[in-house]
Amino acid sequence: MAVTDILARPFASWSQQKRQGWATILVAVAFAIYPFLTDDDSNIDTIANAMSYATLALGLNIVVGFAGLLDLGYAAFFAIGAYYYGIFTAYQVMPHWSSGWEPLAAVGLVEKINQGGGDLVHFTMSFWLALPTGALVAGLFGVLFGAPTLRLRGDYLAIVTLGFGEIVPIVARNAESITNGAAGLNGVKGPTIPAWFGFEGYSFGVNATPYYYVGMALVAILIFSSIRLRDSRIGRAWMAIREDETAASAMGINLRNFKLLAFAIGASFSGFTGVFFVSKLQVATPEMFNFSVSSMLIVMVVLGGMGSVWGVVVGAALLQLLQTWILPRTTDVIRAIGETVGSDFLMSADLVQWTQMFFGVIIVIMMLFRREGLIPATRAQPKLEMEEQHADVKRGGFVNVDRIEKWHPGTGNALEIKDVTVRFGGLVALNKVNLTIPAGGVIAVIGPNGSGKSTLFNAITGLVTSEGSIKFEGHELIGLRPDEVLARGVARTFQNIRLFPKLTVLENVLVGQHCRLKTLPFGAIFRPPSARAEEQGALRKALDILGLFGNRLTPRANHTVAGLSYANRRRVEISRALASRPRILLLDEPTAGMNPNETLELAEQIGELNAMGLTILIIEHKLDVVTRLANRVTVLDHGDVIAEGTADEVQRNEEVLTAYLGRAHRAKIEAQDAAKETANG
Amino acid sequence: MTSGELFLQQLINGLNLGAMYSLLALGFTLVYGIMELINFSHFNVFMVGAFIALGVLRLMGLDGQNVILSGLPLVAVILVAFVVTMFSTGMIGVGIERLLLRPLRAVTGPAAMILTIGVSYILFNIILIGVGGDTRNFANPLPSVSWHFGEATLRLRDVLIWGITIVLMLGLTYFVQFTKLGKGMRATAQDPEAARMMGVEVDNVVGLSFFIGSALAGASGLIFGLYYNYAKVDMGFSAGLRAFTAAVLGGIGNVPGAMLGGVLIGLIEAGSSQLIGQAWADVIIFSILVIVLVFRPAGLLGRQAPNKS
Repeated sequence: MAVTDILARPFASWSQQKRQGWATILVAVAFAIYPFLTDDDSNIDTIANAMSYATLALGLNIVVGFAGLLDLGYAAFFAIGAYYYGIFTAYQVMPHWSSGWEPLAAVGLVEKINQGGGDLVHFTMSFWLALPTGALVAGLFGVLFGAPTLRLRGDYLAIVTLGFGEIVPIVARNAESITNGAAGLNGVKGPTIPAWFGFEGYSFGVNATPYYYVGMALVAILIFSSIRLRDSRIGRAWMAIREDETAASAMGINLRNFKLLAFAIGASFSGFTGVFFVSKLQVATPEMFNFSVSSMLIVMVVLGGMGSVWGVVVGAALLQLLQTWILPRTTDVIRAIGETVGSDFLMSADLVQWTQMFFGVIIVIMMLFRREGLIPATRAQPKLEMEEQHADVKRGGFVNVDRIEKWHPGTGNALEIKDVTVRFGGLVALNKVNLTIPAGGVIAVIGPNGSGKSTLFNAITGLVTSEGSIKFEGHELIGLRPDEVLARGVARTFQNIRLFPKLTVLENVLVGQHCRLKTLPFGAIFRPPSARAEEQGALRKALDILGLFGNRLTPRANHTVAGLSYANRRRVEISRALASRPRILLLDEPTAGMNPNETLELAEQIGELNAMGLTILIIEHKLDVVTRLANRVTVLDHGDVIAEGTADEVQRNEEVLTAYLGRAHRAKIEAQDAAKETANG
Repeated sequence: MTSGELFLQQLINGLNLGAMYSLLALGFTLVYGIMELINFSHFNVFMVGAFIALGVLRLMGLDGQNVILSGLPLVAVILVAFVVTMFSTGMIGVGIERLLLRPLRAVTGPAAMILTIGVSYILFNIILIGVGGDTRNFANPLPSVSWHFGEATLRLRDVLIWGITIVLMLGLTYFVQFTKLGKGMRATAQDPEAARMMGVEVDNVVGLSFFIGSALAGASGLIFGLYYNYAKVDMGFSAGLRAFTAAVLGGIGNVPGAMLGGVLIGLIEAGSSQLIGQAWADVIIFSILVIVLVFRPAGLLGRQAPNKS
């Protein structure tokens, strides 16, 4: 960081965006003119190889860095792209010619080859057609491999992908009739540019320079796509999954689809590169795609910084530099020293042999001392001014409420919970619980710890399986996934705060809007006006919601939530839930850990949300909050509803006093009653 | 061979492989049970174990196939080889845990697992650079005593491998079930925090599980050498993956599960090599891994991992 800081100093007056833009252009121009400055073809070739590794690292970064799915068999998709192109251009698979091939021959996909035993078919797919279709094929395999495995926890996924990464080369080795086995496909066709209006056509052959430019274009395309995806609804969903799967699901993200999408897009980057790589080498052997390739890519991503687009490109460049320049040159130097001092040991040194040792050492050092990589993905946080840091406890609810749309709760019951039972093995956590929440009301659930309050929330939001019936506005919720429940309009907060720690306040709130937005990968990458408008609208809404809390959250919008105070994290969680535009809000101990003043402030704000028409179900231990807010109170104990009524009624209920409130509370209530009687009498 | 004899022969082979995979799987399962960590360095601790055993045998004058021992010298040589190998790999495991993994204990996310990949690489390259990448012949001091059942052959070697494996497993079971440290280990696997509060020295327990797991990997490496008569630097990868599959099949974190899973994987490998061909054995085993994980992620005997929510 220090180096970039020093470089940036003269341009301090420019906006960060402008600086980054110019830096990118500068780097691109430097790469574009480099081939004209060097006579050494091998340098160009080395850089072209580095570019293909950079594209692979970019793809892996989507899977590992963005979505947090540790894929140790990523080279499998590289192999699939490579063999796809190889098989359709090499002279390996050659069926007999029949007239059925004529139409394909007409569009240039196959050609007829005359041979003694009869005419044969030779596949001649164009490189330019193979690039996108290879990406597509690899992406399909990504879905195929991903579908059964993505339900697994992260560490299992690592081992299964390791297995897949091993199987693909084995299949390539064993399916000799198609792949020519261990000897590999030879004579894979290099790309050509066909003749076109006076242009006489061009064949890449073995000249490194055209590959260099194609590689450069690929890197540029993939960097661009990675950044666009990262800064979109899709990227936010991936990072939310990486940070906390349960919370991501509860905030409306379809885990299976978005994990598969990460896998498929990552795989398609790899397939893309496979086509390029094999056309450049013009051979494909199983050994090109074994575990050492996958793990080298992991090293690149780890070195550069997981989730950091520029980081992984730098990581790939550094590793290539290490292998092709630093280690050989250092070996030369050591040997020269050996010759001078007459040491046979030094003279026979060969550091290139040690390449993989360095990989291991790099991983260990990075994990021990710099887990975020050389160029971390999380950006520097803007410093706060004094007045921004300072926030008085305010009374009287929200600020700028008029920017938030009011709710129209309607009439009747919002949520109807009938005979809901939840079991954990032999333990009955909820036993035939009944609860009705009228539209526009505030219902509180109280009870001792372990009485099933949070389990009730988990049952409503689909995080645990339950029996019975939970109807929201007439629709059954049981059986729905958490993200489907949220889409229906049921949002929640968690007792122990489950934000996405490495995302900023703003990003957390934007994730809340996930289910209300529609952008898909195409829209995220190309940003048509509709996608742009949607994103800007989402941003505005998120800022409006943060603005409700005055200057508590707004100045911190671009801070990661990990650094926020406890109370502020609670506020972000409520904002995130509000961002999904719920029709009922489930708050699980929203004031836990807050001091009395903050508690009062938040209680008033919750009351105001209700006044704006939002139906609320709240779990709370602080009885003054409950009394202030709730129309009705339900008391749970050991999974049973033991009382139901107004706050005042349940406080006098014998069973509630015994199970939860205790003797001290009874004394307090009796004292209050006595005081009232004295006042009246 | 008749099909009955073939079956018997593959049963013998499968049990040998199973013994090897079981011991290796125990290391995965012990560490996973206690730390929820897939320890990739285990793959190559196994490989290093085979090379240490090779070196120990060579130091005792056993090189190649030409020295055959019997009686007391044979027992002594085998005993020394196992003890020295297991102690050495055990200490390697403890070193990895204490120096590299302990600083990461409090770090969430995949950092620790990625670190073990790096360690695995380093171990691999130490042997690659120090010893070389070619196949090394493993000494076989066992007399060629064998019993025949039709054309199926049961060798002294097979009986020895089974015997040693059974002794090690009984020892481990006794340790885990009946000793104070073993109890501490089980408690830590259930809930490290509670175990710590009840006075279990969690650091020691973690170190111990690495020692035992790695020592068993060493024993497994020695068995690999005795069975296949060679050691090679890349032997850790596929054996390790199979052993991991075995641990998952039995129920990761579950000690008897790892033993059962190892034997099953050994038998499956022997059977599928016979029926479909050695080249596809890996594909079949990984398919089993995927199928188990998808349909019964808790494994055959159920998972005994920490109750983290």
